[in-house]
Amino acid sequence: MIYLLEFSCPESVKKLIMHELRIAEDLSAIVIETARNGNLSIVGKVNISIGQLIQVVPEIFEFAFREAVRNTIAEDAELSIEIIKVKMNCVQCGCNFHLNENLFKCCRCGSIDIKIINGKELFVKSIEGE
Amino acid sequence: MEIKIMRNILDRNQNKANEVRNLLVSKNIVMVNIISSPGAGKTSLLERTCEHFGTKFKFGVIEGDVTTDRDAQRLKKYNIPIVVINTEGGCHLDSHSISKVLDSFDLDNLDLLFVENVGNLICPSQFDLGETFKLAVVSTAEGDDKPAKYPMLFRDARAVLLNKIDLIPYTNFSYESFRKDLTAINAGIPLFEISCTRGDGMDSWYSWIENQLLQNLNPNFTSRRL
Repeated sequence: MIYLLEFSCPESVKKLIMHELRIAEDLSAIVIETARNGNLSIVGKVNISIGQLIQVVPEIFEFAFREAVRNTIAEDAELSIEIIKVKMNCVQCGCNFHLNENLFKCCRCGSIDIKIINGKELFVKSIEGE
Repeated sequence: MEIKIMRNILDRNQNKANEVRNLLVSKNIVMVNIISSPGAGKTSLLERTCEHFGTKFKFGVIEGDVTTDRDAQRLKKYNIPIVVINTEGGCHLDSHSISKVLDSFDLDNLDLLFVENVGNLICPSQFDLGETFKLAVVSTAEGDDKPAKYPMLFRDARAVLLNKIDLIPYTNFSYESFRKDLTAINAGIPLFEISCTRGDGMDSWYSWIENQLLQNLNPNFTSRRL
């Protein structure tokens, strides 16, 4: 038994095969919804944070964002991207440290029992407008 | 005027993934999100696994493909429910597409749902589908640098399958380098070195996946040492 389901997606998605666009479209929806609720008629700036472990390329994301906000009140909004470094915490010795050369291991006691504190963020901090 | 938001950009996907996960937990179903490059051997792995277990467990498959139902056709002979999601250009599956197709399965009659994600090592890692766990499949022909290049997937996956070990003599793949990178990223992760075509290493994989299933069906089940 095989079912075939075809999902229709916006033309823009078909042209640009990349996850940055999908993320940019979700961002655009949040920006526009927030702007409407806050009675903004134009969005001048969008501030977001991206963790280093999230494989989003800022240049491509910027391009995807422009595509996603086309013909909206955020069309001319500047996109400000803050890159957040990977920070980890060692469960064994409590040491906090930054990622070095892909080594997910405590730099003090060598334990692999670690928690990732920062680096997986992908969030919108705020928007600015009038 | 500045309006503070502090919201996960992908929360629409995350919320739906949480719904899917709750539904699967309530139905006692293990969902495995299989992520690999195109051609690493996801479908071959499913062929072998379906063949091995036969009717012992109730399997289902969601096939994510940019286009065509070729992978699904290869699995048709195992007589299991298969749903194909053609993403039409999209490079990954998301939780909304999974949620929509779950209705096509008889969820009271399913132990394990394999999701063969679109062949790609980056995009699918970003989108939680509501799976029980992710499985990373890589093949020796792709080179030994995949863990170093895509650390997120190898951090998040519950196990790694290294396929096509029979081809190593014809490639410049270095076991040492592969293991060193993988250990740096995720030291405790189970690694299965297999050849889906020749059958090497498959028994360890079958035991492991069976243990995952038995643990899910009976939380008191203690896994056998592999």
